[in-house]
Amino acid sequence: MMPTPPESGTAETRREDEDAELIRRVARGDREAFASVYDRYSRPLFAIALRVLNDAREAEDIVHDVFIALWNKAGDFESDRGTAFGWCVTLTRNRAIDRVRARKRRGELLAESAPADLGYDENQAENADSGDMLWQKEKAAVVRQALESLPAEQRSALQLAYFGGLTQQEIAAKLREPLGTVKARIRRGLLKLRELLPQGL
Amino acid sequence: MIDERTEEAASLYALDLLDGAEKSDFESRLRRDPSLRALVEELRVSSTALALLAPEAAPPDALRDRIMASLPAHDRPVRTSSEPAAVSPIPFPFAVWTGWATAACFALATAYLASLYVGTSRELAAARDLESVARIDAESARQLLEAERLLAQAQVADLRNARVQIANLERQADVARLKISSLASLLSDSPHAQAVAVWNPEAQEGVLSVSNLPALPADRDYQLWVIDPQYPIPVDGGVFTVEPASGDAHLHFKPKEPIKDVSKFAVSLERKGGVAKAEGPMVLISP
Repeated sequence: MMPTPPESGTAETRREDEDAELIRRVARGDREAFASVYDRYSRPLFAIALRVLNDAREAEDIVHDVFIALWNKAGDFESDRGTAFGWCVTLTRNRAIDRVRARKRRGELLAESAPADLGYDENQAENADSGDMLWQKEKAAVVRQALESLPAEQRSALQLAYFGGLTQQEIAAKLREPLGTVKARIRRGLLKLRELLPQGL
Repeated sequence: MIDERTEEAASLYALDLLDGAEKSDFESRLRRDPSLRALVEELRVSSTALALLAPEAAPPDALRDRIMASLPAHDRPVRTSSEPAAVSPIPFPFAVWTGWATAACFALATAYLASLYVGTSRELAAARDLESVARIDAESARQLLEAERLLAQAQVADLRNARVQIANLERQADVARLKISSLASLLSDSPHAQAVAVWNPEAQEGVLSVSNLPALPADRDYQLWVIDPQYPIPVDGGVFTVEPASGDAHLHFKPKEPIKDVSKFAVSLERKGGVAKAEGPMVLISP
């Protein structure tokens, strides 16, 4: 069964248009718009950085750097190439992954790397008290439902691939599977996810 | 028709799991194949959705204030992707140009000595080109200085001193002991960032030439580290910032400790003013 999108296509499009307009205003030096973007995105971006790095202080640094980059590069955002939120997520993940890889190069031991199962606990989530948080929770529920419909081995491979900051070989070693098998699971899982997720999520 | 192997590469690319030759080969194919580009774009969107699975977490309230305080004090000029970047005058203090003139002459000397070191006709030709470029750079720097009215008699004297230094270097018997290292980027969103470090072990000093590094917020600096196996931690080589427009920087460095043997050079991102021991992420490193 296909997951149900959190909002109608029209409402989702309207939100994306609002976000894109905020970014255009940030490009014009509008601090109020920048503060609005922070209020909309800081929680999910911090959550992503924390998930990758397992270190709140480093996650804070990443979010700080992402928003400064957003201020400096807002003029580079092109709305016909994707959503503003997707752009910020990519900036955050890239920086967090860079930090993970830099840790390895300095020879420091990583904190226990990403478990195969995210272990999401709904009871730990704060009560949604804003429209933004409610919107994020609903979208997350759709993605989680889609992911749950994948075979466990494809789920594990995708989660490690996205959050782990690992190379292909390291993912295979972590899962104790041949590299070819892991690549095939990532391919099948991501293609299936593409089919299951509603357009414009 | 896109086969399974290509779908696999597209999935790995969308998740930033391709690197090296695999990545550059795939990117060559991407440039030629619009249907492959469309597939990668769809897979990127799907992979980005995975971000929503991160357990909810709120940043500390103070982070908002810290970020707002890091923004420049004055409003930026309007810039959109269809407009050229605004150009604002960059202050050129006297000491920067003295250092630039010295570094340019040191770069001249280095290019000349490197040409002796490499020894083959093809490498010698490349070194001669490098020397010409360095001379052109030095000449451009001198012309800029004159235009800004910052070049004074003391700077001419500095150039004479630099020529004396060049002559001293030329008298040094063992040119082969100069260490020239290239540093590659560790930043996935700035893959073209790079640097060249030229280290003179006898003089215990060197020059670092950086290009395409991203500009930093006001509370951060890049910091050079010299890795010498005799020390348990990398040795501080000094901090630097890049020119915002080009991402370039030139640093004349003297490490804080005597260096016996350089195994690597590295650049990290640190707090403003630098740190005694590397804390931040590495952004450039030599092999």
